[in-house]
Amino acid sequence: MTTKTTSPLLLALVLAALLPGPTFAQSLLGFRALGVPVGTMSARAAAAGNLGVGLAGAELSATDPTAAADLLFPTISASMQPAWGTFELGDETGATNTTRFPLVGIGYPVPAARGALSLVLTGYMEQRWTGQVPRATAVGGSDVTVDDRFESNGGTSIARVGWSQRIGSRLAAGVSAGIYLGRLDRTFDRTLDSTTVGSGVESFGQTGSWTYGGPTFAAGASATPHDLVHVAAAVEWSGNLTAEPREGTLGDTAVYAIPLRVSAGATARLTPRLHFNASLVYQDWSGAAGFDPEVTAAGRFSYGAGLEWQLVRGIQRALPVRFGYRNVVLPFRFGSADAVESIWSAGAGFDLVQAEGLRFGWIDAGVERSRRSSGRLSERFWRATVSVGISRY
Amino acid sequence: MNAARAMPAPVARRPSANVRHRANAAFRTVFLALAAVPLLLSACREQLPTASEEGLVPVGTTVEVVLSFGEFATRARVYGGYGRPSDLGGGFLARDFAGAGATPTDPSAAGLNAATLVNFGDFPLFASVLDTTGTTRPDSSLTFLSGRIVADFDADGSVAQGPVRVLAHEVTEPWDRITATWRLAVDSLDRQVPWATPGGAAGPEIGSAVWDSASGDSLEIMVDSALVAAWSERRDTAGDLRTVRLASDVAGSRLKLRSARLWLAARPSLAPDTVIQVLSPPRGTTFIYDPGPSAPTGASLRVGGAPAWRSVLDLDVPRRLNGPPELCAAVGCPVEIDEDHVSYAGLVLSPRRPDPAFAPSDTLTIDVRMVLAPLFLPKSPLGPSNAGIGSPAGLAGTILAPELFGVDADEETVEVPVTRVIRDLLRGETASGDPVPSATVALLSTFEPVSIEYVSFEGPGSPAAPRLRLILSFSPDEG
Repeated sequence: MTTKTTSPLLLALVLAALLPGPTFAQSLLGFRALGVPVGTMSARAAAAGNLGVGLAGAELSATDPTAAADLLFPTISASMQPAWGTFELGDETGATNTTRFPLVGIGYPVPAARGALSLVLTGYMEQRWTGQVPRATAVGGSDVTVDDRFESNGGTSIARVGWSQRIGSRLAAGVSAGIYLGRLDRTFDRTLDSTTVGSGVESFGQTGSWTYGGPTFAAGASATPHDLVHVAAAVEWSGNLTAEPREGTLGDTAVYAIPLRVSAGATARLTPRLHFNASLVYQDWSGAAGFDPEVTAAGRFSYGAGLEWQLVRGIQRALPVRFGYRNVVLPFRFGSADAVESIWSAGAGFDLVQAEGLRFGWIDAGVERSRRSSGRLSERFWRATVSVGISRY
Repeated sequence: MNAARAMPAPVARRPSANVRHRANAAFRTVFLALAAVPLLLSACREQLPTASEEGLVPVGTTVEVVLSFGEFATRARVYGGYGRPSDLGGGFLARDFAGAGATPTDPSAAGLNAATLVNFGDFPLFASVLDTTGTTRPDSSLTFLSGRIVADFDADGSVAQGPVRVLAHEVTEPWDRITATWRLAVDSLDRQVPWATPGGAAGPEIGSAVWDSASGDSLEIMVDSALVAAWSERRDTAGDLRTVRLASDVAGSRLKLRSARLWLAARPSLAPDTVIQVLSPPRGTTFIYDPGPSAPTGASLRVGGAPAWRSVLDLDVPRRLNGPPELCAAVGCPVEIDEDHVSYAGLVLSPRRPDPAFAPSDTLTIDVRMVLAPLFLPKSPLGPSNAGIGSPAGLAGTILAPELFGVDADEETVEVPVTRVIRDLLRGETASGDPVPSATVALLSTFEPVSIEYVSFEGPGSPAAPRLRLILSFSPDEG
């Protein structure tokens, strides 16, 4: 029996390991500094307009250290996020699409200690974009047409180990320690016009690669002061994020200071089936060491709010629908103005098994319509998020 | 209870057995969903946002560097004797071509004389004939009546001031179509037999015809019935009978013969009132000429000819550059270069007027190939061709127009792409990972031999010695 109950879970863990590492959204905003944040990682939070803190219920969250406190059984959760977008840059337009896995998490409760251990791998920043420009350059007294292409591919992820501790019947606390992971590959290609230079011309290409590293720690607390209200808050501190050149790459290690991130959120039960949530994040990137001051955002607050309505609620199954809105200040500008992303979202979930408000198996889906702009750059996205989670006895 | 369901109980009870059963079923469902995710992912197509904003793409650096011979090579040699005239399949006819006065350095030089020897094989033993009943049948009893030699010339590869009378003589001496030269009918290792008359011209004349490039590419020389009858009775076991020597009768002409065929008029026994034409294809063709080209001096390179010449260069491409000023200004000096920096490399050669008797009258193509075992030169095998479909040097290699080697040769330059060679040398291995066999390359005719004509270039001792033109590119980080 033991074998029968643990084997599928192990298989699930293996499967999670085989999944591609978190791949990232992509945006021309990735042009600046560390790129563009990956954003909300679970379909439930994305659909309900939540910034990743203060949602009631057991979760495997990257940004809420207490979210796993209510896990009763070993649980695995993963999200898949395809996105389709267009951009306008001055008179130029283009399209982009991608599929990413922004979150893979495993939670393992320890009933004797009234806590849960969690291991969560999430995306953090993405730097995936391409620029291609035809130019004329003088070579040996002749003007030669060259086609320059610069491709940036990669980004930052965070792997965290956390502990969520239930304290009494209405309080929980949590801490996590993590490391920044990831890699950035930048390739410069130059193709010379063979009609000018001569036959047999070869493209020039050079790739530089950097490896990201650095520590991050988070602590948080949540409370249910009243049956109708759940509140949570978290503080995340990061050491310097380093970008170390890999072998063969020119340059020194770059060091970036990641500013303190403070977040808080709450969920209120408006009716037995209707929940309202709101969340707020504070992070001041202006003046952060390692960045060009003109690149970092002056805005510090991001916020989101939304509703979750139990459209169908059975004894063991439920079908919630969600709506929300978020306004997120992105850390790096493209132009001279802050890059602000506004997102309207909707979604639904299917709780395959639930009891007493706790979910043991679920599939959530969310759709976001996002718009973000900075200076001459304007981007629009349709982004879908599908999250699955399962607990195993 | 409702409140607890809506807002999770801080400490939940263990679910019932029924819930656990359903959870197990749900686990399988979700597990399968997870398993399908990689499949879904594999079907997804990534598209990066791509913009042409100038500010997005950093500016790289591209610089031209021209290295003198001493900066990229250590030695140049010329080897001759590759292939035989008989390998061409065609031939040349010349009479006192580019004779006295045509060679500035040697006014008394004799003009070029050349003749083509065509050996026709045994006559056909049978032919398909329409008999009197209208049925096509093989007829092995043919009576040969007469013949005509049809010769096709390459007008572009021929030099003549006007119509040229072409003479056909029968070669009655035994000769070797592989080794024959102007002086020797047989020139093998163990046996040398001179012609009765140098050039093999002692045989009786068969006939003649006039070739005029303005009228067409070919001519016909009639072969009378007596000779055809005599030829039909011979069995050519040695392969030297039924040989025709074609030569020019006009001084100052040099014609390039593409092919020669013998068409025979024959009367079949199945249809005695009919005359049919049957082909006696050539068994072998070669050409003999005199005088041969003089050996190249140390100050020149030579490519082409039949037998062919090759020029071999020992390369020593520097990995560290200290100039020119444009390079230093762009990326700083000294600068280390590797194969990735070389966007283009071209061997710049200065044409030199060859011996007028062998000067090209049509385009020639040259190739650059790695010498696999320089110690075994001149018999070293060579690496793959730099020419071919999809190759940087083009299908046939570097094409050289004959005008490059004319009176203004000293004002012209020729550039042979050697990008792959230079990149391989800097990399230390080929693009496919094979070791680079040597730093020695051979300049040779793409197809060897292809013509009696050859091209010459200024060698290392000349002020216009070969140079290596490099187009080097550097990334923005290096600039």
